[in-house]
Amino acid sequence: MTTLAPGAADAFRTILGPERVLDAATERIIYARDGSIADGVCGLALLCETTDEVSRCMAAAHRMGVPVVPRGSGTGLCGGAVPLDGAVVLSVARMRRILEIDRDVPCAWVEPGVLNLDLTAAVAHLGLHYAPDPSSQAACSIGGNVATNAGGPHCLASGVTVQHVLGVELVLPDGEVLTIGGPAPDPPGCDLRGFIVGGEGTLGVVTKACVRLTRNPPAVRTMLFDFTTTHAAGACVVDIIGRGVIPAAMELMDSRMIDACEGFTGAGLPVDAAAVLLVEVDGTEADVAAQTDVAVAVARESGTRCVRIAQDEAERALLWKARKSAFGAVARVAPNYYLHDCVVPRTRLVEILDAIGEIARRHDLLVMNVFHAGDGNLHPLIAFDRRDAAQVDRVMAAGKDIVEACVAVGGVLTGEHGIGLEKRDYMPLTFGAVDLDAQACARAAFDPEGRMNPRKVLPMTARCGEAVLGPDSLPPGTWI
Amino acid sequence: MDLTPAVTPGDRDECAAALADATGAGRSTRVVGGGSASHRGVPLTADQVLATAGLDRVVTYEPADLTLTVEGGVPAARVTELLAAHDQVWPQAAFRPGATVGGLLATADSTFSRLRWGPIRDSLLEVVIATGDGRLVRAGGRTVKGVAGYDLPRLVVGAHGTLGVLVEVTLKLWPAPAASGWYTLAGDAPTLVQAARTVTREVYRPGAVLLTPGALCVHLLGAADDVTAPAGMEATQGPPSPQWDATVQVGVSPAHIGDLVTLLAGHGDEYVAQAGVGICHVAVHDADDVDRVRALATGLGGHAYVTAGPPEVRRDPWGAPPPGIDVMRRMRRAFDPAAILNPGLAVWDAPGDRV
Ligand SMILES: Cc1cc2nc3c(=O)[nH]c(=O)nc-3n(C[C@H](O)[C@H](O)[C@H](O)COP(=O)(O)OP(=O)(O)OC[C@H]3O[C@@H](n4cnc5c(N)ncnc54)[C@H](O)[C@@H]3O)c2cc1C
Repeated sequence: MTTLAPGAADAFRTILGPERVLDAATERIIYARDGSIADGVCGLALLCETTDEVSRCMAAAHRMGVPVVPRGSGTGLCGGAVPLDGAVVLSVARMRRILEIDRDVPCAWVEPGVLNLDLTAAVAHLGLHYAPDPSSQAACSIGGNVATNAGGPHCLASGVTVQHVLGVELVLPDGEVLTIGGPAPDPPGCDLRGFIVGGEGTLGVVTKACVRLTRNPPAVRTMLFDFTTTHAAGACVVDIIGRGVIPAAMELMDSRMIDACEGFTGAGLPVDAAAVLLVEVDGTEADVAAQTDVAVAVARESGTRCVRIAQDEAERALLWKARKSAFGAVARVAPNYYLHDCVVPRTRLVEILDAIGEIARRHDLLVMNVFHAGDGNLHPLIAFDRRDAAQVDRVMAAGKDIVEACVAVGGVLTGEHGIGLEKRDYMPLTFGAVDLDAQACARAAFDPEGRMNPRKVLPMTARCGEAVLGPDSLPPGTWI
Repeated sequence: MDLTPAVTPGDRDECAAALADATGAGRSTRVVGGGSASHRGVPLTADQVLATAGLDRVVTYEPADLTLTVEGGVPAARVTELLAAHDQVWPQAAFRPGATVGGLLATADSTFSRLRWGPIRDSLLEVVIATGDGRLVRAGGRTVKGVAGYDLPRLVVGAHGTLGVLVEVTLKLWPAPAASGWYTLAGDAPTLVQAARTVTREVYRPGAVLLTPGALCVHLLGAADDVTAPAGMEATQGPPSPQWDATVQVGVSPAHIGDLVTLLAGHGDEYVAQAGVGICHVAVHDADDVDRVRALATGLGGHAYVTAGPPEVRRDPWGAPPPGIDVMRRMRRAFDPAAILNPGLAVWDAPGDRV
């Protein structure tokens, strides 16, 4: 563990006062973890409350050469907020104000610590909501969503976080504060806003976000289909979209997950089904009617045993509760889980589910599936007990096999959780050395010293090296 | 103008090699797709032209996955044709006749019906660029969703080819809507601004709500029952397609588009303003006009830049450097270290900013 420069804690205390610089071992341990199974070492935790404090802390860290890991709610699933080597964790969880709501855009400027669901609750009376809805939305922060480019069940038709972020305020690693973008579209220059979203805390600290708000649809229909094989469910997903319907959400759960969720919520899921599909369509009455007809017809052709259509908002909420509490429900099955987040082309869903089942059998592990089927975003969840070392080894080996199987059918490593620490060393599976070096250069444009969330996202071999000529080697008469 | 004959690479490797050569020799290079947007930026000459016309292959089309991979020089019109056979659309294709896919992405020119389809940058899933110094860099992924690695695709959309030439792109497609129609209403500016407000409030997810001098144009799309004339409006052919010698693109908060239109109308300007989006294209006649329109835009908290016009109009095409200009310059240096690509086309080349 790199020890922090002597006096580092004092330097931060002059900015934040004694209460908001945590250095006791019992406190630091809380900030050494996130929602993943990774463990780190936190040198100090800073609890910032304003942009100015963040800026001054970042400037101080810059002067002292201290690595910084930004942190929101710590629900991340890829080790993104886990500090390595005693880095300083800078938490923005206390920055929780909704600063401005502009109904005429509609959009809101919010501080990064605002919880996703709190924003939606705050604008509900205006007939608006914040569209990206990660299953963790009651706990995760908007800043964390921005940093991971979070998705959620309802991102199928409406798009992931980056499609809902109009602007950000970003504190650079040296403390400079930039406001990039805002409600005025397409500012001149390249789209730094879009690049910052998904930056996983490696580009700076997001201290404000301007997010688009979405009108509540005039009509919604939520349907549950149940199948005797996962194949049939997977084929149904492909066919609904093949018929030109992109539902607002389309989620698949396999039998083990149905069991766990039903035990947890009692939503009346068919526990004898091999798979269920939760499909929601929204829009105008006419549009919803048309989409429902197609979805139901396709489901029947695919062999659904029943068509359950939520009769009222309470039933709809219950079905969604069952879906969104899936990861919590796993606690009833095993103490720990390791979750992958690969995306495969939709047309390969059926074969990849088979492959995952086979991998689980081979490694003698329990894998449960609940995922965003509409966009091919898998969430195979390996349930295990971390106290069993031999089992942990098998979990890791199975995880690798799953990722490789997904890549082999044209998939990508992560759909929404991010690369962070856990998926970092898989990056060479889908990117060549030249690609990774180019990414390292783009990152270095924000953080030339590599002090922001070091050793995350890119494998250690990726370097912004000689590809970039020094200023001396520029031919005369060129512009930079 | 650029007089030397064009370099026309036949594939991505030739493109990369040509750029590596250009960097080695310090030869500035203007990248040309369909040539439909070549009147932008600071008017500077380049030593050579690189035409993407030879990068014209369709790589893979997966209708069931709603993805299409094509080379950057493929004309957007060809994409439209190809997709029509499967009842699918890349809604960004129609903005500028004659444009290539790579050209539309490089200039970030989004469809008029952006209210419904979103900006063009949201439709680029994966990209391969040939950087200024001749590397072939791939980023993003071909699936409809993905966050693996840094979002270089978003960075190159709107970078005007100054980070690299887009040699191959994977686009996200949509099922063609069941029905689609354009509707219009005539009136004076205050009436139309009010009508636009009503439409954006009352119609659920219209494609476009466009304000022009004397007419409001609304695009509706979706289920057949939803595509009927809003109260008081009548059917029309399509969006306005004004032919102007010089155009400024203004961006203001959608909350201020009515104010902007009122100011422009008061001056007798010609314009197409996208209500709900905040973009407004304005016809300009000279560099002073650009400054005037820009002052209106900045007064409303927005920005304005020239998207087409003869050199004399482009005295100051971009306005004040945007926040993050230093980061942008470092990006440019990382991808085009000798700064050979598209001189004058990036904000970082704005007058007074040159090193
Ligand atoms: C039960 C459960 C369900 C989940 N479901 C989903 C889902 O459906 N979809 C989905 O996308 N994710 C899901 N997640 C993952 C997680 O909730 C998201 O990644 C979320 O966006 C993380 O937000 P956070 O505030 O907890 O961020 P953290 O975990 O604190 O941080 C995540 C990353 O963002 C960086 N970061 C955080 N805040 C900032 C900031 N202000 N500035 C710069 N960088 C910052 C961190 O350094 C880290 O790299 C789920 C997690 C759990 C536990």
